[in-house]
Amino acid sequence: MVILHGVSKHYPQRRRPALDDVSLHVPPGQFLFLTGPSGAGKTTFLRLLFGAALPSAGTIRVGGADLGRLSPRQIPRLRRKLGVIFQDFKLMPRLSVFENVALALRVAGVKSRDLVERVERALRQVGLDHLAEAQADSLSGGEQQRAAIARALAHQPALILADEPSGNLDPRNALEVMKLLVAAHARGATVILATHDPALLDMVHGARVAKLEAGRLEES
Amino acid sequence: MAGQQPAVRRGPLARALGQMRQNLWLQGVAVSSLAVTLAIMFAYVNLGLNVYAALERLSTGASVMVVLEEDAAPERGAELARLAAAWPEVLSARFVPKDEALERFRQQLGSRSGLLEGLARNPLPDAVEVRLKPGAAPLMVLGNQLKGLAGVAEVVTSRPWLHQLERAADTALEVGAVLGALLFIGVVLVVANTVRLAVYVRRDDLEIMALVGASLGYMRRPFLWETSLQCLAAAMLAMLLVWGLLAYFSAPLTLPLGLETSRILAFNPVIIPPFILAALAAGLVGSWLGVGRALRMKVW
Ligand SMILES: Nc1ncnc2c1ncn2[C@@H]1O[C@H](COP(=O)(O)OP(=O)(O)O)[C@@H](O)[C@H]1O
Ligand SMILES: [Mg+2]
Repeated sequence: MVILHGVSKHYPQRRRPALDDVSLHVPPGQFLFLTGPSGAGKTTFLRLLFGAALPSAGTIRVGGADLGRLSPRQIPRLRRKLGVIFQDFKLMPRLSVFENVALALRVAGVKSRDLVERVERALRQVGLDHLAEAQADSLSGGEQQRAAIARALAHQPALILADEPSGNLDPRNALEVMKLLVAAHARGATVILATHDPALLDMVHGARVAKLEAGRLEES
Repeated sequence: MAGQQPAVRRGPLARALGQMRQNLWLQGVAVSSLAVTLAIMFAYVNLGLNVYAALERLSTGASVMVVLEEDAAPERGAELARLAAAWPEVLSARFVPKDEALERFRQQLGSRSGLLEGLARNPLPDAVEVRLKPGAAPLMVLGNQLKGLAGVAEVVTSRPWLHQLERAADTALEVGAVLGALLFIGVVLVVANTVRLAVYVRRDDLEIMALVGASLGYMRRPFLWETSLQCLAAAMLAMLLVWGLLAYFSAPLTLPLGLETSRILAFNPVIIPPFILAALAAGLVGSWLGVGRALRMKVW
């Protein structure tokens, strides 16, 4: 599903690389924790996977596509096959929960009836169907993250990338979010979850753990 | 309010209206700066066309004035007109009695025609106005022949410098076209920069769209609509502005050569449709370029 080979990432005006010769193979259906302290390179790792940054060296394959060979036009198509979840939710504050979730389908050209059905299903999965018409910025943090997860799940992506998805949430909501990701994994999705919080690791049975330390990858 | 939007379809126009409602001050900034730029363009084209039309009227106007002797009979005037009209280089010739000439002068003066009230007698002579065919030969011969006829006091011609005027008008037209193109580019640049401001204001929403896989076109389309609507509104404002200014300044005043300021400063409705089209075209080009540039600089 995801293959990295000798991947390094240098940011301009930084002496040390954010990622240093990272190689990794994530087979389909795996749940991978990417751990490591803040500044270890976790966010950089994920940004490379959804085409928000380019590696300085090495090759990255996501779902069969070589990211180094994608044209700028193909990046959006890649992203439509992924579900990405962020620490700060990244919802459109003035739109309804429904519209936020629908966005992921609209950009892919999904139309009318199909769209309503799929949005409603995704909202049911995260338990937000009763808040579909609420404006996104009127929701609590936990509800916002569930809406964001619904958006990431709406088009049933084979790969889910989550960057500190529970970082802004209290323990109860964090647990809720983890349950939703585990459920998505159980339905067949590959999940890569970046977190600096070791407490999360115990919440997923049989998960693989890879640790980043100053840009270098160590598996445990 | 946003929560009550109908869920089923959200085309680019709906998205454009949605994002416009969220930033009314931005609409104000965009429309007013566009309106000023478009008003300059509109005023320029309007005046340019009027001046050109005036020059054309001049150069095809009565280019030879055959002034009759004071005691010449009106019949002699009509006869001279027939004679002159028979010449090949003459387009038309018409006898203008002095009363008609005075009446025309009065109309040209417009509201200032009161100036003529104090006149004890009509100071203008009877005359034959001869209009020449465009590009006709030198006038000396014709002038001399006319002057030799009985009852003719004087032949006044403006043709030699009219040639220069025509040349000047042609040059002015070329210069005018170049300036007009520059103004068009100016509008495009104003739009492009306004759009970049609009992109900046919505950078968070655009980032989210890009992250869930929106194509450049999906993100660009609402901006094209938004700019089109802004350009339409700004074009209307610009025309109102120019119309108002022209109405204010166009006091009837006759310049030398019979150029009337009221005609040069007239609002020219013929240019409204092409002007609106040009404004829309400039808006679309500027918006297309502006959004493309602003978004391409970001990768997210
Ligand atoms: N856009 C950037 N420009 C420069 N340096 C960056 C940028 N993003 C991250 N870095 C640097 O790269 C390193 C890894 O950062 P990051 O990937 O955010 O780590 P993490 O997500 O594990 O906290 C840090 O030293 C950080 O300062
Ligand atoms: Mg991070």
